Amino acid sequence: MWWLRTKAYRRFAAREATSLFAAAFSLVLLLFLFGLSRGRQAYEGFLRWLERPGTVVLSAVILAAILYHAGTWFRLTSHILVVRLGRLVVPRKVVISGLVALWLLVSGLVLQLYARF
Amino acid sequence: MQERRKETGGISLDDALGASEKWDFEPKKKKPELYLTIPPKELVFWALFSAGGMVTAFLIPIHVAILGIAFAAGWLPDDALSYERVLDFARHPLAKIYLGILVVMPLYHWAHRFRYAVHHQLGVHGWKRLVATFCYGTATLGTALTVWILLRI
Amino acid sequence: MELTLRIRRYNPEVREDPWWDEFTVDVEPWDHVLEALHEVKWRQDGTLALRRSCAHGICGSDAMVINGRNDLACRVLVKDVAPKVTVEPIRGLRVLKDLIVDMDAFFDGYKRMLPYLINDEEPPVRERLQSQEERERFDDTTKCILCAACTTSCPIFWGDEGYVGPAAIVNAHRFIFDSRDRGARQRLQILGEKTGVFRCRTTFNCTEACPRGIKVTQAIQEVKRAIMFDRLG
Repeated sequence: MWWLRTKAYRRFAAREATSLFAAAFSLVLLLFLFGLSRGRQAYEGFLRWLERPGTVVLSAVILAAILYHAGTWFRLTSHILVVRLGRLVVPRKVVISGLVALWLLVSGLVLQLYARF
Repeated sequence: MQERRKETGGISLDDALGASEKWDFEPKKKKPELYLTIPPKELVFWALFSAGGMVTAFLIPIHVAILGIAFAAGWLPDDALSYERVLDFARHPLAKIYLGILVVMPLYHWAHRFRYAVHHQLGVHGWKRLVATFCYGTATLGTALTVWILLRI
Repeated sequence: MELTLRIRRYNPEVREDPWWDEFTVDVEPWDHVLEALHEVKWRQDGTLALRRSCAHGICGSDAMVINGRNDLACRVLVKDVAPKVTVEPIRGLRVLKDLIVDMDAFFDGYKRMLPYLINDEEPPVRERLQSQEERERFDDTTKCILCAACTTSCPIFWGDEGYVGPAAIVNAHRFIFDSRDRGARQRLQILGEKTGVFRCRTTFNCTEACPRGIKVTQAIQEVKRAIMFDRLG
């Protein structure tokens, strides 16, 4: 297993593995929507599942994985997204900051959606 | 040049140079110019993976934090996830598109990464068609399910 | 100073399997690993086989795996690896003898990229003019010396027959983004296939390995985007 050999390779493997957690959350969302489509009882059953401590732990794990994905994704984008202004190139740290700012904005908007529609 | 050719016994300098490097790699002309308007499969898969990665990075964390942790911890307003409120939101066509993207894009992101992880990290060298069909097939199945459920809301 | 080299040997005429040999040489700290290998070959074991030419980091002949990382033997200083260094042939290509590998697979990928200027238009009276910005666009990828350090450090290349490899893509990039070239479409067509650019998983090994400091992964992503927008635009 070449990807166990060095720290850099193991981090690469971890990065790729985060996609599993993304798919897992898609499944959770799908169950959420399915409950919604089935009626009040089914939906509220799903909400009760969300409240269980086991689910919270699972969500924390998924969140950690997706945040790792986001971090590596932004770093990657800074490497490969070359913004040229004539002959000048936007430095990588600025690109990452821009992406993080956008991420904060989007997260804020979604939070607004939930907390005050 | 002419005299030298006779001296070396028939082969010209150009022929000798030409023979030393065989450039026999021609671009494959099997597909007609039409090819340029139909994207290659790999491009589609990669574009979906890329878009999926963007959605996963920007949108998913906050949703996980809210649905998975904040709700159970009681940090949301009491009626934030009430049946009426969420149903009201989800019935809006734009909301359905948003929810569709939220569910489906990470699936295609997973499909592409998992497909190559199986080949390059788990060392499965053959079964290329099977692995690809399983991965993108699962994602497509997920898409179909999502559309069906969203239409029922 | 003393340097111990642990070299991966292979000689099908003598032994079926490869083996390790250890040699201790006396070299200066500012010598390169290549000089140490010379000490071994010229004074201790004349059967050691390796490729080298300029010995100055520009011909790209002596790419090897030194202490687990791809680099040119003539660029790694003894003082950075002493007292013990492991030298192996580059991975992913068939070993012919000791540190010499069969570069055919590597060069095949390179040739498929049509790595020459394609322009059938009427040539201008003097030069084909190019602005500084246009030249800058592909400047990074002109630096490639075809040493194969990048391609043989790519895990995809190791495991996947047919992948052209980062070096081929870098050399394709050099022409695709050259304003004087007209063969971009042909090359992008080749690179859009299964054995082309989309195999890249941004592992970044290539960028780390490149002795010329080329941003290989960036070049590969630029080609991916060119294929995408060429299709859409």
